[in-house]
Amino acid sequence: MFKELDPILHSQLRLAVMSLLIAVKEAEFTYIKEKTHATAGNLSVQVQKLKEAGYIDVVKQFRDNYPLTTCKITTVGIDAFESYVKALQEYLHAGRER
Amino acid sequence: MPEEKKLTEAESLALITSMINKVKNSYIESGFGPLLWGTLITFCSLVSYAKIKFNFDLGFDVWLLTILAIVPQAYFGWRSRKQKKFISHNEIAMNYVWSTFAITIFMVSFYNYKVAPANSIALFMLIYGVPTFITGGIQKFKPMLLGGIICWLCSITSYYTSLANGLLLMALSATTAWLIPGIILRRRYLKLKHV
Repeated sequence: MFKELDPILHSQLRLAVMSLLIAVKEAEFTYIKEKTHATAGNLSVQVQKLKEAGYIDVVKQFRDNYPLTTCKITTVGIDAFESYVKALQEYLHAGRER
Repeated sequence: MPEEKKLTEAESLALITSMINKVKNSYIESGFGPLLWGTLITFCSLVSYAKIKFNFDLGFDVWLLTILAIVPQAYFGWRSRKQKKFISHNEIAMNYVWSTFAITIFMVSFYNYKVAPANSIALFMLIYGVPTFITGGIQKFKPMLLGGIICWLCSITSYYTSLANGLLLMALSATTAWLIPGIILRRRYLKLKHV
């Protein structure tokens, strides 16, 4: 019986954001936007969903009078991401054996 | 990128790999630190060598320049942190390695001042090799791996040479460990910055 893929992560933009954040300690919203080629609106919604799931921390502050949003993956997020990758590998492995 | 597009398992894995690679490729080391310290330590070693060989006095200890160099290093470090849009795990590791190195060098300099052990120059080159070799390994940057090894070889060799020649070995260590890698990194940085 296969584990169900985490619906929070199994979506293109949210997975892209999590993959990016797993590779860094923290990243600015603008950097994530640039790398995912998403619109600010789309990205804000997905970042909010990841935050509500407890997968990322979002810190909003000001730098040189400009708003600065920084995102960071949480321990819960790391565990969820690892489980997701493991589940993916199981699916792909089973697919190859068939 | 559409926000809710469902992916196949293969597409998911491909996306994860591509995003991780994007992060890897977006960090470019400016080479400022290795260039600054490579030039300075090479210069101080050569001046100290010349002082012994040609018996002259500058009126001040040339090694005090290393304290002054902390100012541009701190300024460029602060400026580059401000411009950075992300902090990588490698950077954190590198910061710890080089901070450990700075503290160790300070402690050894203090020990050297208080105890004045024989051939302390070997100890400095031994320590130079450690963060250089680690950085070369973590960043997969061969010139620094090689530089670290050369520092250790120079450290051993210095036991069998005079102090003056030891200073030449120190210049060689700083040149191979930091100055040459710094030039390579700087050229790469300027090239990629203008692409």
